[in-house]
Amino acid sequence: MNERELDLQLIQRIQNGEQQAFALLVRKYQTRVANILTRYVRSSGDIPDVSQEVFIKVYKSLPNFRGDSAFYTWLFRITVNTAKNYLTSQSRRPPASDIDAEEADSYDGSGALKDEDNPESILHSQEVKQVILKVIGSLPDELKSAITLRELEGMSYDEIAQIENCPIGTVRSRIFRAREAIDKQLKPLLEN
Amino acid sequence: MKEYSQDLSSLIDNEFDDQEIIDAVLEDVELQQQFSRYQLIGDVLREESDGLDLRVDVTDSVMAAIAGEMQDDNVVPLATPEKQDTNVVPFMKRFGQYAIAASVAGVVVVSSLIVNQDDATDASSTPVLNTVPFGGAAAPVSLQATPAQTENDIKERNERLEALMKDHQLQLQTKP
Repeated sequence: MNERELDLQLIQRIQNGEQQAFALLVRKYQTRVANILTRYVRSSGDIPDVSQEVFIKVYKSLPNFRGDSAFYTWLFRITVNTAKNYLTSQSRRPPASDIDAEEADSYDGSGALKDEDNPESILHSQEVKQVILKVIGSLPDELKSAITLRELEGMSYDEIAQIENCPIGTVRSRIFRAREAIDKQLKPLLEN
Repeated sequence: MKEYSQDLSSLIDNEFDDQEIIDAVLEDVELQQQFSRYQLIGDVLREESDGLDLRVDVTDSVMAAIAGEMQDDNVVPLATPEKQDTNVVPFMKRFGQYAIAASVAGVVVVSSLIVNQDDATDASSTPVLNTVPFGGAAAPVSLQATPAQTENDIKERNERLEALMKDHQLQLQTKP
């Protein structure tokens, strides 16, 4: 099952009245939505509000989603339109250089707004990143390789199994053990 | 209780076949939070979260807002006044009812006049200038009003009138 199929399954569940399935979509995409919004929304404090608006619009428009395009492409368009509306409401012009839906996956908002007005948030984000990288650095090579190939290279379990010359089940287990090790350190940090 | 963490990891990677994990995540808040953290690990590694406040999770606020909006949607239609353009229909409907009632009454009056028309009136003796009103006989104009109809006639007419009115009411009620 690929990402598109999983999203469609969740959407079907939402359309059948399982509202909680939408919460899963929000959890899945909220960072990517916020990342797109940094391109438009100058005040980092407004990003959660605009993100919320995006997801409410998405929820309301779900009955019209026919699955012709990937859910993320559709979500991306709604995000950009909501961001532009936000700028209009703030009497600001949208940025001259737009980003296309096709570029959305590879879009790096590094040139856009960063959270310079919130040092505490920067510190926390850096801490989270350091913890993740530190745990990955301390993992056995096979776990480190598996999680890196999956998360950074975007490889499927089958592709990783071929590279690592091991069964898919082993890849599955290695990636999970890597995540579990990171999560053990990450959870208290996020809860605090 | 079954341990779903490994299945959750596979779900994040879209590498699962068993639908059970989706059901389990949707029912378990702890699994949902774990799903968020697993997702965050990838987002951080891909530097998609750079510059974002990672303490912010909009899931709960989004779901609360949606629940609130759904409640509002349920309430609003009840409180919304009738649309302006629909006022035309009730007016016409009411006017139509009066018109039908008036025409029924008119028919009753005319038919009772025809019934009471003097049998002696002969077509052959119709004068050149016919002063008898169309549709019935006119009562003589006099200060002394003599009853032209017997009590039986009046009773019969009232019964017919009543029957017609009932029929009219019935038609109104059965009208879609």
